[in-house]
This record gives sequence, C-alpha cells and structure tokens, in this order.
Amino acid sequence: MGQAFAGRAEFNSQLAVDGLAQVGFWQYVSSSDFAVDVTENWQSEYLQFFLYITATVWLLQRGSPESKKMGTAGTEGDKDQRVGPHAGPDSPSWARATGWRQGLFSRSLGLVMGGIFVLSWLAQSITGVAAYNEQRLRDLQAPVDWSQYVVSADFWARTLQNWQSEFLAIASMAVLSIYLRQRGSPESKPVGTSHTATGIEGG
Amino acid sequence: MARRILPILAAFGAAALALVGVCGCSDLSELRDGAAAAAAHFRQAVQAQDWAAACEALAPASRDELEQNNKAPCPQALGGQELPDAGRARHTDVHGEAMAVFAQDTVFLAHFPSGWKVTAAGCQQQPGDRPYRCALKGR
Repeated sequence: MGQAFAGRAEFNSQLAVDGLAQVGFWQYVSSSDFAVDVTENWQSEYLQFFLYITATVWLLQRGSPESKKMGTAGTEGDKDQRVGPHAGPDSPSWARATGWRQGLFSRSLGLVMGGIFVLSWLAQSITGVAAYNEQRLRDLQAPVDWSQYVVSADFWARTLQNWQSEFLAIASMAVLSIYLRQRGSPESKPVGTSHTATGIEGG
Repeated sequence: MARRILPILAAFGAAALALVGVCGCSDLSELRDGAAAAAAHFRQAVQAQDWAAACEALAPASRDELEQNNKAPCPQALGGQELPDAGRARHTDVHGEAMAVFAQDTVFLAHFPSGWKVTAAGCQQQPGDRPYRCALKGR
C-alpha cells in the first residue's frame, strides 16, 4: 500500500517533468511500472527461500543453529527421513508410498518455491519490458522486444540489486547466529549454548 | 499433497494472468488504432497546411516549446517548421506512450484525458541507441 502511494508520487513527478498527463491511484496500481517493482521483489524472495531450503541439504555451517549437524550433509537415509517402509502411521500417504510419488513429495517444497520463483521472474520480465518501453518512448527511443529486454542492463540491474540484498541478508544471518543469540527465537540457539554447537535451535 | 498444492499453484497462476491482464493488453489494439489515427490526423493536417488543426493535435508541452522557440503563436510557428513529407504509414507501437512510424517520418504520442496527442514529430532514427532527433518536441 505504502509502496503504491510512494511509487505513484514518483511516477507522477516524472510525468510532470515530461509534460504528460498524471495518473490516478488505481491507474498506477494497474500499471506495468508498479507491477515490475512488485514482481522483482517477489522473485528474489522466493529465490532466497528456494536456495536456502535446497542448499542447506548439502551445505553445513559449523556453529550455526540454521545448519544440520556435521556429517549429515546430503538427502540422508530413508530411516532418518521416515519414508517408504520407515513411515509411521501419522506420515503423509505419499511419504509411505514408493516410486515417483515419494520422489515428488520428497522434493515438493523446493519444487513449489522454485516454481513460484520462476513464474515471478517471468512476470518481472513481462512487466519490466512494458515499463521499460514506456520509458523509452517517453525518451524518444524505439521500443525493444522481450528477447532484447531479458539481456538488457535494465532487467539485470533490477534483478541483481534484489539478489545481492537477499544473499547478503542470508549470509550475515548464518554467520551472526553462530555468535549472537535471541532469547526465545527458534532461529537462535538457546542463550547459554556454546558458539561451536551446531544444529540446536531454541524452539 | 497434490490437493493442498494445486490451489496454491492455481492462485499464483491467476495472479500472474491478472498481472499480464492489467498491463492493458486487452484493449491494446484499440489503443494502437487510436494512436495511429491521431498520428495520421496530425500528418494530414500538416500536409494540408491546416496549421490550426495540427496545433490542436499537439501535446501541451510540445506546443509551448514550439511557441517559445519561435516566439510566435502555434499555427504561425508550425507553418515555419520544416516537416518533411511523412509518406505511407508503416506501423504503430504502443507501450503506455506510442510511436507511429511512417516511411519518412516518426511521430511520438502520449495519451491525455482528451485522447492521443503528438509529443514529437519530424523524428529521425540515430545510430546506436541514441534518442530520435526530432524537428518538433516538448522540453
């Protein structure tokens, strides 16, 4: 909501500079200029969680409460994961199943998060080319098509400026949580736990 | 599992479709026709030396700029402008603003509450990615 108000004000001041008609609030919310700002943030958030969910299967960080215990890297055994014959009575039915259903269910979180990332990145490219072309026409430049846009500086600047902030946040969280504590938070080790303890979350 | 995930996927699919829908693609051909007609109307008025009608078709900022640069009212100033024959209309691109390409001229337009208005005309493509050079433009 705040983004819509601030975004419209910025967009309108740009239009005023160019001597063009101002847009109303709903007109702005339905514009490609607003949509590209929204979707570029969505894709980076979903990418962040997708990578976090899948990379922590193999990558461990000694001393981090976000990491699994040392020596458990990888997809682990069927017994640890309670799948197939090791499934309990309360296990989801697709965990008890074997074959493709177990395989699909075992990756469903990553698949859905990754799928949403791809869709919102695609939406960013579609809304982005519309907003970019509007700006180009205002600057008396010929519009570009989608295939030119996805290799353009505008598309990658929008994409990478979001990625860098997400990766910085994740990396600093992984490292800071080794030495710092937040009492009661499930993302933190219990306050009195040693710095070298790995894979013990408060909760 | 599938029963729980499908509604989520459907919701995101609908959201993606809505985003594509709201960019205005539904009435794009109508917008394009309007922009093409406004550009053709302007060029015909210039061709017929109907300067009053041509001035009516200009966006306010471009009209102001023309009057300022020539220190004369718009019809008189436009009469003194060298706008080459446009030739046949080729195509019109609409992305919020519009660009109407003729055989020997390119006209840029913007949408106002009163309809499409010409923001720049007599424009020639420049090498590289530089903006078109226009005989008539705002700012």
